[in-house]
Amino acid sequence: MAKALLIGLDGATFTTLEPLMDSGAMPFLRSFARGGVRSILRSVVPPLTPPAWTSLTTGKHPGGHGVFDFFQKESPESRTLRFTTSHDVRTSTIWSLASEQGRTITALNYPLMFPAPKVNGRVVPGGWMPWRQLRLGCHPPGLFDRLKALPAFNPRELSHDMALEEKALEGCAEEDHADWITLHTRRERRWADVLSHLMTEEPADLTAVLFDGVDKLQHLCWRFLDPALRDESPTPWEAEVSRLCESYFRQLDEILSALVERAGSETTVVMASDHGFGPTYDIVYLNTWLEEQGFLAWSGDQGIRPDANREVGISQIARHVFELDWERTVAYAATPSSQGIHIARRTSDNPFGVTDESYPEVRARLVDALRDFRHPQTGRPVVAEVHTREQVFPGRFVDYGPDLTVFLNDDAVVSILRSDRVIKRRAHAVGTHRPEGVFLASGPGLRKGVEISEISIVDVAPLLLHTLELAVPDDMDGRVPVEAFEPEALRDRPPLTTTATNASLVGSPSSPEETPYDAEDEAIVLKRLAALGYLE
Amino acid sequence: MIAKDQVRAELIELLTKLAGDWDYEGEITPGTRLLRDLALESLGLVVLGTAIQDKYGRLPFTDFLAEIGQRPPAERDVTIQELVDFVCRNCSPVAAGGPS
Repeated sequence: MAKALLIGLDGATFTTLEPLMDSGAMPFLRSFARGGVRSILRSVVPPLTPPAWTSLTTGKHPGGHGVFDFFQKESPESRTLRFTTSHDVRTSTIWSLASEQGRTITALNYPLMFPAPKVNGRVVPGGWMPWRQLRLGCHPPGLFDRLKALPAFNPRELSHDMALEEKALEGCAEEDHADWITLHTRRERRWADVLSHLMTEEPADLTAVLFDGVDKLQHLCWRFLDPALRDESPTPWEAEVSRLCESYFRQLDEILSALVERAGSETTVVMASDHGFGPTYDIVYLNTWLEEQGFLAWSGDQGIRPDANREVGISQIARHVFELDWERTVAYAATPSSQGIHIARRTSDNPFGVTDESYPEVRARLVDALRDFRHPQTGRPVVAEVHTREQVFPGRFVDYGPDLTVFLNDDAVVSILRSDRVIKRRAHAVGTHRPEGVFLASGPGLRKGVEISEISIVDVAPLLLHTLELAVPDDMDGRVPVEAFEPEALRDRPPLTTTATNASLVGSPSSPEETPYDAEDEAIVLKRLAALGYLE
Repeated sequence: MIAKDQVRAELIELLTKLAGDWDYEGEITPGTRLLRDLALESLGLVVLGTAIQDKYGRLPFTDFLAEIGQRPPAERDVTIQELVDFVCRNCSPVAAGGPS
């Protein structure tokens, strides 16, 4: 039976991979790219880990799968956000579709896999799975104890340890960089060792692993990775950080080589990223701008120090709900990651919100104001594009998306904090997400040594289903990228389409109506965003 | 209403198993505090809450956390007994003993 190996490289971009391949730091990836097919992989809006990986595994854009951010609105009109979980993936996934049709899967370290979907195979969740509770996220029962016997299976380093992440990132002290980079180097080796064990002892038809150190390093160390930004005369510390970053990628290359060799030549190997990366300098304090424009009001002195009371973290629940004056707030940015603006709607909980009748006028006025938003120093437009949710999130779950999504000029990032200035500039570039990710693939029937035109992240799920000799549901937004295949391979086995049922969502434990705890089970945890560098 | 003794025993068993994964050396008792004793942090509480609801059905866990978050910093913690009381107070008999 046909087999596939999906290797996720979170945030990988050819901007950094290409020089590493050319310099000899990633010789395996270079030969893999030359021996297979490669292209830019266009991410979704917003190019963010939870919606993007969900799009890759569902073949649908966010409006079709229901995941927009690290956090979800409890209802379309809700002001309260909660932590996004696997229950929010409200459509079939490659995991569920393969399972339903008798294929076995192994999925390691993918986000939004907690609670673990009841797939035909093994799941160790990734994303924001705290290491102390990794046992709770493993499927099937007994897998955690089986893996615990492995030397590589160290939950503290495999999963997230908030203490380590905060130590490394909150202050971004020079001395923390080395620990951060080497932690992720060890983490990738651990995941690879666990996967190698499962590939040998419990092989699956669809095997998948996600390496997320690429994203973590690029957020913090972009200026050491981007050849265009490298200092010609680095300080000893800068030289050491550059060396450690290169070492990470050298070791990642070794890992990729070993996994692909273990998979064997009859296995189709797909490497893909959820989004690309690039430098950013400017921070746009969107809520401060909304305040200046009369769309938002803070409640008293709130909003000055959102992290002022972090020792427990549970005080962060729905923090913006407590910090805004809802009698005078019309629109607000709830998270920095979504690049979105929400309009406060009139509900039983918010009698001051915008009525259905006023909504079109208020939204249009906000769009006009965003288009008129000018940089205080340069006078240039700050907002490159502004889109309504109907434009960027068409689909069943459109109402759960932000009312407006903005793309900022100069690759500026959004902050939701209160600030004395609307725009601030960093001294050094850091990394931020870009829509251009990577796609590399090799295996039976795929072309060799070609670069094809850009494909979409929603095309990966159809490609994997076709590889597994399964039909592609007709409700997927993506398509099998036939240009990646040899013509004779397509003649022998053309892609098949089937009517989507979504009747049994093995990969998503329940439909929205059946979700047993869809509204009250999680809390907003902005602390985690801060640790990842999303919260400015 | 589900029996409090049963919930207490089940939650202590669950947390004992979890604590064993991080080599916690103390005994898990009804008085064990999730934050100060077991060193759970916010995300850990959320994940634990999700797992508990997988077992006992939908519970107003966000409200529970919000209530704790409003306490003075020195009292901002949850004992296992408080968790048991919360589950028993809000758990429907049908949901109890559901999927685990």
